[in-house]
Amino acid sequence: MRLLTHNMLACNIKGVTNGYPLRLEAEKWVEKEVDFNADFLRGVFPKIDWPALVGAARALGFHDLLPVDAPDPSVLASDDELLRRFHRALLQLHVEEGGLVCPETSRRFPINKGIPNMLLHEDEV
Amino acid sequence: MLLCVTLPVRSISHLLELGAFRPLVSVPGYSTRATSESVKFCIMVSSTETMEVSKFTKLNSARKSTPCSTNVRATPDIEKTFVHRVYDAIAPHFSATRFAKWPKVASFLNSLSPGSIILDAGCGNGKYLGFNPNCFYIGCDISPPLMGICAGKGHEVLVADAVNLPYKTNFGDAAISIAVLHHLSTESRRRNAIEELIRVVRKGGLVLITVWAVEQEDSSLLSKWTPLSDKYNEAWVRPSSPRLHNSVALVLEQIPETNEVCSATEISKDQNALPEDGEEDGGNDDTLAASIFNGVQEDAVSSGSGDVETNQEYFVPWHLPYHRAEVSGRLTTEIANGLAKKDDKKGAVVYNRYYHVFVEGELQRLVAGIDNVKTVEQFYDKSNWCVVLQKT
Repeated sequence: MRLLTHNMLACNIKGVTNGYPLRLEAEKWVEKEVDFNADFLRGVFPKIDWPALVGAARALGFHDLLPVDAPDPSVLASDDELLRRFHRALLQLHVEEGGLVCPETSRRFPINKGIPNMLLHEDEV
Repeated sequence: MLLCVTLPVRSISHLLELGAFRPLVSVPGYSTRATSESVKFCIMVSSTETMEVSKFTKLNSARKSTPCSTNVRATPDIEKTFVHRVYDAIAPHFSATRFAKWPKVASFLNSLSPGSIILDAGCGNGKYLGFNPNCFYIGCDISPPLMGICAGKGHEVLVADAVNLPYKTNFGDAAISIAVLHHLSTESRRRNAIEELIRVVRKGGLVLITVWAVEQEDSSLLSKWTPLSDKYNEAWVRPSSPRLHNSVALVLEQIPETNEVCSATEISKDQNALPEDGEEDGGNDDTLAASIFNGVQEDAVSSGSGDVETNQEYFVPWHLPYHRAEVSGRLTTEIANGLAKKDDKKGAVVYNRYYHVFVEGELQRLVAGIDNVKTVEQFYDKSNWCVVLQKT
């Protein structure tokens, strides 16, 4: 699971109103190189919840990879080095084993072999 | 005496699992009309049979473990048995045989701007993931084995339910649902799945949905499918079954309140004639039995062609060659449970997949009930009904 995916996952248990972002527990992660595409990154940036991305990167041990505050879009567009760090966090880091924890219910959704299982139990729908 | 019953599809699968269908005997010439939500069939009941009240109580407690609720997001048993379990069992073979890219889907994907985030809900073997290399795809499917196969190809996937997507609202740029909705067994679930697709895309985002059509280009294909009623017919037409006598009560328990009784009039083969209500030939019903038959049909969808007798519920076979069939103990169990059958002539294990095939206009009717969506395109292509929707 990449952090771009993590950025869009939310707990969908019935009645939950504060199910985002899911807290990332990474037991095993790897880095895989992905082609750098500045246009894609600039395009996707407005959708990204920056604090959630920073939190997820930190869960993998990357405390200084990203600035705490979301950069200005124009800054991101012109700062190639920052863009590359954004690229790395968003697309190159893969969580292989771990879990995603709902902030409201503490329900843990497992990640196995890089695949999160977001299925709910019958009493959660 | 002859009694007719309409059962919600959900109840049928539950009863099937309980083995309750054994005693039911089809009556030749009688209508086994199916709507999207229920199947109607007629049974012969001996007027001397007694219904044991104790059996009802027993079944009531068994029932608690099944999501027979009206919760649209709870998976009905028919889908668990004839969709989820089947795809899990056939995943590698299914994946290997799904490679042709359908031109209409391809052109939709290619029309999306570079940098788009595309959500494929019910992505199967991931055939369309990564199709347009300028976009980022996230696929999800209810089948863990299929998602394992996708992940092995390097795709970004998760295990999730199309009726309850785990995505934030307004995130995706586009979504696709290719040959998925026809595996959902109720109209509410089908509509809910469309609502989810709309919810997860941004305002102005596009959604492509394709589903199998009743109106197949190759109409001979339908003869290879088993209409739902026939399948249950097969499961329970066992004249020599030792359970013939006592289990009628098991069937009746699931059915609430009102009484529906068919006349003995023969119904024509094309099923145009509707059974008439009336007193049964052969005297008084057992009042307990009579009180339980139900004519209620939940969310009945009237067919676009105006023919309410069009059957839309089918089991479509999947032939898993012996050399591919898993040799785990599971296969033996599945055959024992009736989930799969061996076909020595074809050298394959046959699984049945549940389908609700769509009639013309049905997708549009589902969409009509949804806010903040407009239909951009609608078409029929290669035996599929398709729509492109836009979130407004």
